[in-house]
Amino acid sequence: MNTNLKISNVTKIYPGCVANDNVSLEFNSGKIYALLGENGAGKSTLVKILSGVVIPDEGKIYLNKNILKLNSPSDAKKNDIGMVFQHFNLFETLSVFENLIIDSDEQRENLKEKIDTIMKKYNFSVDLDVPVLNLSAGQKQKVEIIRCLIRSPKVLIMDEPTSVLTEQETSELFLSLKKFSEEGILIIYITHKLKEVMQLCDEVAVMRRGKLVSVSQINNENIESLANKMVGQDLKTIKKKKENTSSEQLIKITNLNFTSEDPFETNLVDINFSLNRGECLGIAGISGNGQSELFQVLSGEIISNKNSIEFNKNFIGNLNPQERREYLMAFSPEDRLEQAAIPQMAIFENVALNNFKSSNFFNNGLINESKIKEHSKKIISEFNVNTDNIDLKSQFLSGGNLQKLIIGRELITSPDLLICFNPTWGLDVGAINYIHETLIKINEQNKSIILISTDTDELLKLSDKISVIHRGKLSKIMNAEDVTSEKLGILMGGGN
Amino acid sequence: MIKIVKRDQPSKAIFFFTPVLAIFLTLIAGGIIFYILGFKPFEALKFFFIVPIADKYGFSELLLKATPLCLIAIGLSFCFKSNNWNIGAEGQLTFGAIVSGGVALLFYDQEGFFILPIVILAGAIGGMIYASIPAILKTYFNTNEILVSLMLVYVSKLILDYLVVGPWSNPEGFNFPETRQFSDSARLPLLFEGLRIHAGIFLALAAVVISWFVFYKTYLGFQMKVSGFSLKTAKYAGYKGKKMIILVFLISGACAGLAGVGEITGPIGQLHREVSPDYGFTAIIVAFLGRLHPVGIIFASLVVAITYLGAETAQIFMQIPKYTGQVFQGMILFFLLASDYLLFFKFKLIGSKK
Repeated sequence: MNTNLKISNVTKIYPGCVANDNVSLEFNSGKIYALLGENGAGKSTLVKILSGVVIPDEGKIYLNKNILKLNSPSDAKKNDIGMVFQHFNLFETLSVFENLIIDSDEQRENLKEKIDTIMKKYNFSVDLDVPVLNLSAGQKQKVEIIRCLIRSPKVLIMDEPTSVLTEQETSELFLSLKKFSEEGILIIYITHKLKEVMQLCDEVAVMRRGKLVSVSQINNENIESLANKMVGQDLKTIKKKKENTSSEQLIKITNLNFTSEDPFETNLVDINFSLNRGECLGIAGISGNGQSELFQVLSGEIISNKNSIEFNKNFIGNLNPQERREYLMAFSPEDRLEQAAIPQMAIFENVALNNFKSSNFFNNGLINESKIKEHSKKIISEFNVNTDNIDLKSQFLSGGNLQKLIIGRELITSPDLLICFNPTWGLDVGAINYIHETLIKINEQNKSIILISTDTDELLKLSDKISVIHRGKLSKIMNAEDVTSEKLGILMGGGN
Repeated sequence: MIKIVKRDQPSKAIFFFTPVLAIFLTLIAGGIIFYILGFKPFEALKFFFIVPIADKYGFSELLLKATPLCLIAIGLSFCFKSNNWNIGAEGQLTFGAIVSGGVALLFYDQEGFFILPIVILAGAIGGMIYASIPAILKTYFNTNEILVSLMLVYVSKLILDYLVVGPWSNPEGFNFPETRQFSDSARLPLLFEGLRIHAGIFLALAAVVISWFVFYKTYLGFQMKVSGFSLKTAKYAGYKGKKMIILVFLISGACAGLAGVGEITGPIGQLHREVSPDYGFTAIIVAFLGRLHPVGIIFASLVVAITYLGAETAQIFMQIPKYTGQVFQGMILFFLLASDYLLFFKFKLIGSKK
């Protein structure tokens, strides 16, 4: 049976922002639809409206010409709309089967039978009895998909499903999605990755700043045309100048190990690498393979053996972050709002978080506010942070401006090494470009970078050397020219 | 038409205006309640808020009640500003009173200038010990400090109960649930002949000044603030975040303990069953009404102290139960929370002209 889903003149206004501005779209089963847009373009709001999480201010939704009232997620379920969110909604400590039975009204035996049929049909292999925390991201996602399939949905919405998957897992997912589509399930695929749209989808709708910009057949588009529609401006492409880097060693990590007491963290096993001045070492990997632990060990949030880290001919493995800063290291953590900055504090107070002895922010235990403010003004003007009010709470900065402030705070003291973790995560294209340019510039000033990132394109663009982290182990270090994204994908999945 | 719009950023003026608005709304609502109960609203409010402090005795009583409220609220402001929800100041006060009372009882038949400082110090330490329990459980065992500190209040009151009816009860006291009278050397001196206001007020004022200085002017205060907002950030900046959490609890426990000292070594001069008419809980309202700012807390403690006095006058002159005081305290908090909506949203008139 054919499914027709129609969104008609949907508007949703949040205080200070129009998330969806009179959006109308029509979908028919048998095709895979892409909903494309940058972060903040309004995709998520639209999807939340379709799954009953958000109620629109205006507009209607029709399923097979019948008007749909979606006041809660259970309404969406009742109307056969299935949704796989970007962040999995699974109980880590429960088994797969327990996770599936929680929101099902079926008898245990029936459910088991149903799950077996689904798994056979689509060639899924997930052990139903293991706790979810032992599954890979790809398997967790399969559990989420099975959960939707149990209800034989008419519509399946996938929200940025590949952000945590390896290349292999991604192609498996695409095969399954194509199969679902052939069987008459209407698929809506939300992403900001252009390649995936070209590979998978039949039709693409582009959103920008809450408005629907275009709807077109995939055959009439290419990556550039879609990118321009998405961003609304022609993209500058930046390319790193390959220059001869110096051969002076800056940091050397020897037999660094970290064993965590927390079962949700990853242990680091025998980390060894060295980096010269002026070089950028990219560390690729799928999130959750030890990146966050590696960052903490390098920054000093986790203290290790003194001799395991040699920096500028000093052994600093046992120093805390503040002490490492004195040796001219700088750190930009992944989590902007919960770690790198405090949203409820003023911009200038956030600047004081990076505190050198020589910056004199605190004299004899007292705060030297004028010094901090002077320093903050300098950062704001040098790093193009779009505000002139340093008393502003930093929660009122956009993600891009906050990241500029953080990178600026770390760089203005001209450190020899910047360690950053997903520095452009969740930023819009303009801010990403700015951050990338800045990182290239500091390499050119003969300063080094360790870039831990889950974005392979970013790594290939910025790194001189690349290594892959998988289950807490680093692969051998490769020259960036010899690396392709396919090769990274294999290493990221644990292959050779 | 009126439309509600989100503010770009909370306005500073509104930040200090909403507490005033909350008090104003409380007066209106209070007037309505009095009217429904069959009193003349203005007259009743006058009995409640003006009559009690119209003479010098009343004013002294006002300061007497405001002292512990101010002291505790100052301590709590350290916790609350750093996102540690210490709800158990009442327990810390009680335990501080127990420890300092115990020390005072040791010296019940002695005189000497050294006694009072020891008694005061003992109270502060008692409060700190009691506050360290939720702090340590929170930092090392991830317990929720709201539950732990709140439940410990009842534990401390039971300990006090046991002591005053049991081992510490006055041997010559005809089984009244109270201890011996402390010696004069263990008592905070009265400031004026015939009035009950005592030297404890200087402890409160000192706490105001010190807290303002520490929190706004020192690196230590900055680290407390950062650690309170995010332990991850504190770690990243290189601060010892867990120690900061324990420190704010200790400060707040010490202040509550000192308030306890003031209650027993002031006009009363002995331990008995009820050392505090819930000052520890009411101080939470004071802290928020004062916007967690030392100066704000001084004003807030005076305003809230009136509700204690007003309730007593109202009981005497209008035969209304004195629990009306708590009704007023509740209304102040209620209206404060409600009017804080204005911090983040504003009303905008949308007329035909643009």
